Amino acid sequence: MGADVPLEPAVLDDVIQPGPRVSAPEIAMRAIVKRYGTVVADDGVDFDLHPGEIHALLGENGAGKTTLMKILFGMVRPDSGQILVDGDEVQFKSPRDALARRIGMVHQHFMLVPQFTVAENVVLGSKPSWDMNLRRGDIENDVRAVGEKFGIRIDPGQRVATLPIDVQQRVEILKLLYRGATTLILDEPTAALGPAEIEQLFVSLRDLSASGHSVVIITHKLSEVMAIADRVTVLRQGKVVKVAARGSFNAEDLAVAMVGHAIREVTSTPRGSDDEGATLDVRELVVTGDKGHVAVDRVSFGVRAGEIVGVAGVEGNGQVELAQALSGLRRPAAGSLVIGGRDMTSADPRTLHRNGVSIITEDRLRWDLIPDLTVAENLALSSVASGGYARAGLLRRRAMRGAAERLMDEYGIQPPIPLLPAGSLSGGNQQKLVLARELSRNPRVLVVAQPTRGLDVAASEFVHRRLLQLREENCAILLFSLDLAELLALSDRIIVLYRGRIAHQGDVRDLTTTDVARAMAGMSGAA
Amino acid sequence: MSVTDEVQPRAALRQPSRWELPFGSIATSIASLLAALVLTGIVILVLGANPIQAYGAILSGALGNPYNTGLTLMVATPLILTGLAAAIPFSARVWNIGGEGQLYAGAIASVLVALTFTGLGAVPLTILSIACGILAGGFWGAIGGALRVFAGANEVIVTLMLNFVALTVADYVITGPWAQNISPQTRNIPKGVTLPTIWPHTAVDLGLILAVIAAGIVFVLMRRTPLGLAIRACGFNPDAARLAGFSLGSIIMTAFAIGGACAGLAGAILVIGVNRALVPDISANYGYIGIAVALIAGLRPLWILPGALLFAIITVGGNNLTASSNISTSVSLIIEAIFVIFLLAFRVIRLQEATS
Repeated sequence: MGADVPLEPAVLDDVIQPGPRVSAPEIAMRAIVKRYGTVVADDGVDFDLHPGEIHALLGENGAGKTTLMKILFGMVRPDSGQILVDGDEVQFKSPRDALARRIGMVHQHFMLVPQFTVAENVVLGSKPSWDMNLRRGDIENDVRAVGEKFGIRIDPGQRVATLPIDVQQRVEILKLLYRGATTLILDEPTAALGPAEIEQLFVSLRDLSASGHSVVIITHKLSEVMAIADRVTVLRQGKVVKVAARGSFNAEDLAVAMVGHAIREVTSTPRGSDDEGATLDVRELVVTGDKGHVAVDRVSFGVRAGEIVGVAGVEGNGQVELAQALSGLRRPAAGSLVIGGRDMTSADPRTLHRNGVSIITEDRLRWDLIPDLTVAENLALSSVASGGYARAGLLRRRAMRGAAERLMDEYGIQPPIPLLPAGSLSGGNQQKLVLARELSRNPRVLVVAQPTRGLDVAASEFVHRRLLQLREENCAILLFSLDLAELLALSDRIIVLYRGRIAHQGDVRDLTTTDVARAMAGMSGAA
Repeated sequence: MSVTDEVQPRAALRQPSRWELPFGSIATSIASLLAALVLTGIVILVLGANPIQAYGAILSGALGNPYNTGLTLMVATPLILTGLAAAIPFSARVWNIGGEGQLYAGAIASVLVALTFTGLGAVPLTILSIACGILAGGFWGAIGGALRVFAGANEVIVTLMLNFVALTVADYVITGPWAQNISPQTRNIPKGVTLPTIWPHTAVDLGLILAVIAAGIVFVLMRRTPLGLAIRACGFNPDAARLAGFSLGSIIMTAFAIGGACAGLAGAILVIGVNRALVPDISANYGYIGIAVALIAGLRPLWILPGALLFAIITVGGNNLTASSNISTSVSLIIEAIFVIFLLAFRVIRLQEATS
């Protein structure tokens, strides 16, 4: 029948009372290493999870949080390291193995069959298909019973497609509880939720925690850590930089831990500047995000020729939407954007391009490069779009190749073969390719996001030097970066976005890491 | 083209999928063909005939003597052109299912021109008639493209529906003022308006040369011109193409227009060279088979030539099945259908490998 949900009451009785936990960790991950090609996702990570705690795994995108948890859930095999569950060393080959040890994960994108009912989704895959009772009434009763036991009330007969996103999330959680999971891993669980729904999710999670379940929340939002976490582990670039229990962390510490301390390696000499005579002038700009919310809220700033303005902020505070609005990819809802004295508020990428605006996005394979085309074709792409390299209707392929060879040499793109598909280059070389194309146009304005994400030190330094050189050539540069060190090293001025507004701004000479970190954490009136 | 920019971003939110284009390798096509032959062989066995014999019958029916070979080449001619009509928009990752309608548009235009401007000399009238067929096909294709670009309509549905519109117009032309009144067709076009036979005593005329030239032009267009680079860029990664400053809307419109022009030429060739009038069913589903041709050729213009020939062989040779193996000619349709299904199935398998 499947009515008896395999849950040992003993587990529940054990940890009914909250309080300081001195128990041994129920899950211990030791020295976990996972590499993808040359990129190290997790670099010797230790992670402990105690029974009944809500543990936030905090870090920027690419810090290795999700990979670490996918390893714990058996979806990804680590290159080295140990996983101990209740003291036994385990080697999970698949999520099935992890579930057998009562570990379950809710992914950022739900894995539900929209046409099925809640009950069908919950039961699906919990048993071999030949052993499954699919009588509707039976499974609905089972699922309802489990839901009531954990205070998750959903009508099991409803079709998932008709449910709002937060209820679908509860179905995912219920699915894991039905399978007997006592450790729940939630990957960015609040990404799609509104404030009220987030509050409700947190209530459910506290209930689960009180009944002995341990919860891992993967997040990059400080406010959530502050709201719910009993303990937090902060990852940066694949390493644990901080582990702290409630009471011994605050938002400011966490922000600094997450983004890193500023070390000025490339020394730019910041120049005092203000918005007067700005080449790129943004006034009262309002931009809506994908979910229809106001992502950028009446933001005003200017970037002058020969100046780098850095945009700081914890991920998801409107940077992407602002950058897209400035690139012509997202039409602003209100406000104005003036470039070189001309109104470009709703210009398309083509018009911006023709007016000397270069864009380098944070996702080069998605927006900047066409991996299937050759390096030479990619380098020539924007010229071709504005009528370059054409003679009598034909492409001047030899000229394209020659230009590509020169640029590849100048930017040190390896291997120096113009006819390779761009997708076959390494990440660093792809980024150099994008820089080579955009910078060789001598742009008047450059909007660049995360120019060194995923690059090694040498490649990052190269990119930094190029940006500074471009600044010397009087380009107005707006630099979006999640790496505070990078911003402080390159920018003349910094603006900090928090919830779509400029929370703080100033000349980089007057700013400290702490000021910026506080502003990023939403503490207004930075010291 | 700000209008598309409004339409694009939603669709653009998905990840660029590397597997979608081009449509697989030639090896996949050959494997699919072999698999289809094996599976159809089982069907033939069940029908009580010898598969080897049946396939032999298809080959000899298609290529056994000069006359049959000529027929096969005659059928391959429009398939080359409708294959191009599908391949060009497909390369821009928009789906032209309207080859059939674009072919009819070309046929209608060329027959009307040939029947109207009889005062011109035979050769100028032939050229004018073909040119108008090409233009009409291109125009019909551009309508589908425009509805996609400016109205955000699904181009699959729009181009498919436009096929029925073109077919209905053809019915009107056949039964209307230009009707012949003896058999259901238009009056014959003037005697001198014709495509010369290039292989004596067969049905092979200049149309075949025109089709091969068209494939060559499309090859140059796709690989050697800025427009071709724009079309490929748009197909591989529309987001990046747009950010690089290309106007996706005009690329899509142009791809549809050029594709339609190829199908229009097929229609003109069928009228002027083969039928000498607009007749009902002037296209034996050439527009739709062209889609399969484009797919098995992996959208490569020059591979469309052997691809079209292959489908022509199966189609023409299939007529020989009843006579020699006593099974229905529709077995050839089974081969074609299973072939395409295998092709698509191999794609899915590759997709799963790519994502796992």
